Amino acid sequence: MAVIETKNSLADNKPSAAGATPGASPQAQLWWRALGHMGFVFGAVVLLVIILMALLAPYVSPHDPYDQILSRKLIPPAWFDHPKATWDHPLGTDMLGRDYLSRLLWGARISLLIGFAAMLISMVIGTTLGVLAGYFGGRVDAVISFIITTRLSMPVVLVALAVVSLVGSSLTVVILVLGFLIWDRFAVVMRSATQQVRNLDFVASAEALGSSTWRILVVEIMPNISNQLIVIATVEMAHAILLEAALSFLGLGVQPPEPSWGLMIAEAKGMMFFEGWLITIPGIALFMLVLAINLLGDGMRDVTAPENRK
Amino acid sequence: MLRQITAGLAGAALLWGASALPSLAGKADDTLNWATDREVAVVDPYYNNTRELVVMGHLGWDALIFRDPKTGEYSPLLATKWSWTDNVTLELELRTGVKFHDGSDFDADDVVYTVNHVSNKDNGVLTYNNVKWMKSAEKLGSHKVKINLHKPFPAAIAYLANAVFMVPAGHYDSAPATADGKRDYGAVKPIGTGPYKMAEVKAGEYVLWEKNPNYFSGTEKPLPKIGKIRFRTIKESNTQIAELLTGGLDWIWDVPKEQAERLASAGPVTVKNEKTMRVSYLAFDVDGDSGVKFFADKRVRAAVAHAINREAITKELVGPASVVIPSACHPDQFGCAQDVTTWAYDPEKAKKLLAEAGYPDGFEFTIYAYRQREFTEAVIGDLAKVGIKAKLTFMQYRALRDLVWKGQTPINHMTWGSNSIPDVSAITSHFFSGGRDDPAKDPEVIEALKVGDTSTDPEARKAAYKKALAKISGELYWLPMFTYAKYYAWSNDLNFTTTPDEIPRFYAASWK
Amino acid sequence: MVQYLIRRLVVAVLVALAVSLITFSMIYLSGDPAIALAGETATEEDIQNIRRVYGYDQPIVVQYVNWLGRALQGDFGQSHYLKKPVADVIFERLPTTMLLGFCALSFALLLAVPLGVIAAIRPNSLIDRVALAIAVVGQAMPTFWFALTMILWFGITWRLLPITGTASWANFVMPSIALGYYVTPAAMRLTRAGMLEVLQSDYIRTARAKGLSGSSVLFKHALRNAIIPVVSLAAVQFGFMLGGSIVIETIFAINGLGFLAWESIQRADLPMMQAIVLVFSIFYIVLTFLADVLNAWIDPRIRVA
Repeated sequence: MAVIETKNSLADNKPSAAGATPGASPQAQLWWRALGHMGFVFGAVVLLVIILMALLAPYVSPHDPYDQILSRKLIPPAWFDHPKATWDHPLGTDMLGRDYLSRLLWGARISLLIGFAAMLISMVIGTTLGVLAGYFGGRVDAVISFIITTRLSMPVVLVALAVVSLVGSSLTVVILVLGFLIWDRFAVVMRSATQQVRNLDFVASAEALGSSTWRILVVEIMPNISNQLIVIATVEMAHAILLEAALSFLGLGVQPPEPSWGLMIAEAKGMMFFEGWLITIPGIALFMLVLAINLLGDGMRDVTAPENRK
Repeated sequence: MLRQITAGLAGAALLWGASALPSLAGKADDTLNWATDREVAVVDPYYNNTRELVVMGHLGWDALIFRDPKTGEYSPLLATKWSWTDNVTLELELRTGVKFHDGSDFDADDVVYTVNHVSNKDNGVLTYNNVKWMKSAEKLGSHKVKINLHKPFPAAIAYLANAVFMVPAGHYDSAPATADGKRDYGAVKPIGTGPYKMAEVKAGEYVLWEKNPNYFSGTEKPLPKIGKIRFRTIKESNTQIAELLTGGLDWIWDVPKEQAERLASAGPVTVKNEKTMRVSYLAFDVDGDSGVKFFADKRVRAAVAHAINREAITKELVGPASVVIPSACHPDQFGCAQDVTTWAYDPEKAKKLLAEAGYPDGFEFTIYAYRQREFTEAVIGDLAKVGIKAKLTFMQYRALRDLVWKGQTPINHMTWGSNSIPDVSAITSHFFSGGRDDPAKDPEVIEALKVGDTSTDPEARKAAYKKALAKISGELYWLPMFTYAKYYAWSNDLNFTTTPDEIPRFYAASWK
Repeated sequence: MVQYLIRRLVVAVLVALAVSLITFSMIYLSGDPAIALAGETATEEDIQNIRRVYGYDQPIVVQYVNWLGRALQGDFGQSHYLKKPVADVIFERLPTTMLLGFCALSFALLLAVPLGVIAAIRPNSLIDRVALAIAVVGQAMPTFWFALTMILWFGITWRLLPITGTASWANFVMPSIALGYYVTPAAMRLTRAGMLEVLQSDYIRTARAKGLSGSSVLFKHALRNAIIPVVSLAAVQFGFMLGGSIVIETIFAINGLGFLAWESIQRADLPMMQAIVLVFSIFYIVLTFLADVLNAWIDPRIRVA
């Protein structure tokens, strides 16, 4: 989705090296702009909190996230006016009597892992293809563009579902399938970004100086497209997390008892008409995570290329 | 451009809004709406083996004999009298004056045609087990037939009453040919003698049945009261509940326990938990075919059995009508001995057994399941408490069954509904007679089941089955888990009675 | 122009072929298709027979060419489960999904374009920020949660809308909103960016200088130009939405192609799965091709690029 959007925003997007204004060091300017950008700050703070939750899960979880006590199932959150509500389970317990807060904390790990790993795989694939196509042009570009178009024309959810259902579902399978499916935006954006950078003077001079192609790609091209790379990375990370939730809804995402947020939402959906908090808690968590990542990405785009958002 | 789009849209909306709104379903238009999550494409009890068609089978068709779902008594239906002339021959006298939905008369030719068609393996009846015990049928008079068996089959009457529905002679002649040179018998327009006749079908949406005004009376099977019965496919259970609460549906089942309990107090609906013939079990990879050798050691299997709190799962997750079972069959089935080795919940003993077997710190393996994920999750949770880490692979039934047949599952957590046949031969003999599903292929069990399946003396059958069941539970080829119980929920406008065989009798329902 | 179109057409056909190859090879992910097809009671002999009849015993290249040859004539084989020609079943359910996609897209555009325009006229205003909020929120909520929440409020609590089925326009309201909402952010951003760009271009300034009224400039000139990329985005999104309809059709019990796809996946009905993936892909390919044609027709610079 939004392929054209990214293409369009790139049309007037210049690499940061060219976009810097004189005065204070470009780095410092960037920071000041970032701190002045509300969305960016909000996204960064929320994401940081979630990352901390994930890292500290083993130390701050009140219970073992896998420990089920069937007789203590579906205790509502502590602040509810309910005889069973207790601060021993601040966010209550799930259908199998597992502590909801602990599952939420541990779930942050899985959801971040899925988003990050799938994004990383797609970044490697997409960036490699995009940079090669953009740098070499000609036949290489034609072939890679063809591969990108082919991939774009395959419906992601449908193909993911078909593959996962045929080979069986697990955390690894979900990450791999998503990683191998969502590299298209990386490829499209990196291709045009590289095309732009390639025509700039310093690349030409590096070529003239006889640098190897590999060296030019790594030393000259990559640093100059990395800002856009990070923006796409945030978009795709959010995309992967939401896709996992959709797969979980259809029963083909991460397999229990592993607590991913998408899976927790999917498991809670049966009770949503009766015990709304059960879906609202992981729902809000996932919502905040995706929101934070998106805001961070948007902010990054605005900050690194402020002329885009007038 | 935008203007054109807007104008076009407005036009389309106007045109479309003119089409009639759907009339409210339910009592107001004398239509009972029920739904499950499955799509029904083939409306034929022989060529669609889903539960939906078992239910519809009793709507559209009649068997020769009627089995009262409450008492288990057999009484006349399409046959008025029946008797065994010897071990392998059943003679039946047929009812006169019965008409099929197409107006033709029911007589001996129809029975002969039906039996000979379905018992012929080439005709590909899907649940062949239901009909393979019949060899052939012969006409003895215009309303008199005999059915020949291959060998003595004690459960014959049970199968005849539950799974052998009568179709008119020549019914399948018009079936189109398929690509692989076979015939697509499921494509034939359904015709039976039953209390309802099929009016419309749209695969993936609905099957509509209309009352058969000429249905014969004077049997235990009651005359239909409700005008129309519409089956609908609604995949998402929340959507089913939403429709039930707002009057779009009159009847649903398979409602999970927690939802059912809250539904009971939420709206104008009746909720009931009722037994089913379905049982849950864990099957172990007894000979280590899957490459995972842990479960070849009986101590490890015993540790698993002691680690799982089946009572708690039954009570907290399944429902009040569910019970823990000791043997590899449903307690209501004939021959299902209950006095076999039992494995009580005892996590300490489980840990000790694991240590004895050489795994004091437990181990990791993959458990396979296809139905009610939360039940398997509970099993995994219990195993974790004694140090066994089970990873769940949740699959579609068909895909999992293929893996089981290839022997690739260390433990599979599966279920079996016995096609609602109240006899051990429909489950234990199905799984432990040395076939693809048999985890142990124990010759002693195979032999005992063979005796039970073919003997005509009820006591001899019981003794043989008990021997087999005692060995299965004693050696823990399976860990029998619990019987399934289903939550039904229906509109308060509806008079409906649940039955323990998981076959809702909609033909007996009425409006309040 | 013609040369450009021919080149694009050739690429589109090649892409379709590549997709068909990938789709076809899906069959081998599940192991032996003949065993899956044969069913429960099949003997080894039955499986052999199926292998022969369906051609699974031939080299995969031959199988592919045969399959493709038949597919080109509209014959995608028989559904393993429904026992009907796959093409018939697909054409039976396609209209429902198309209608749903069309309604969802209309909803998305009717929401996104006005908001995008206003946001562009008054950047950083309250409305701009609300539009931005709608955009980010829309991207962050799982579809099924959003859809079920609507059922809870509009279906059960307030009883304003029917929950399932396709009987009248009212049945399409909730599914269209649920499906369309996810397209809104992209369309809105694009409208906003396009409008901003056009509003600052020379000819709009000229038009304003000539004394044309504000709204006339805005709608006759600016929007007309800014909307072009949105239209091609819409074309592309339409293809994507057909795929996204799986979850929505499942929740609202709509008997369309998405629901069929999901059912077929669960039943391991391979010919059906192959055909549906291919149909969705072809849709995308055709729509992007049309969008290219449209762009080339409007913007002559592209033709020589």
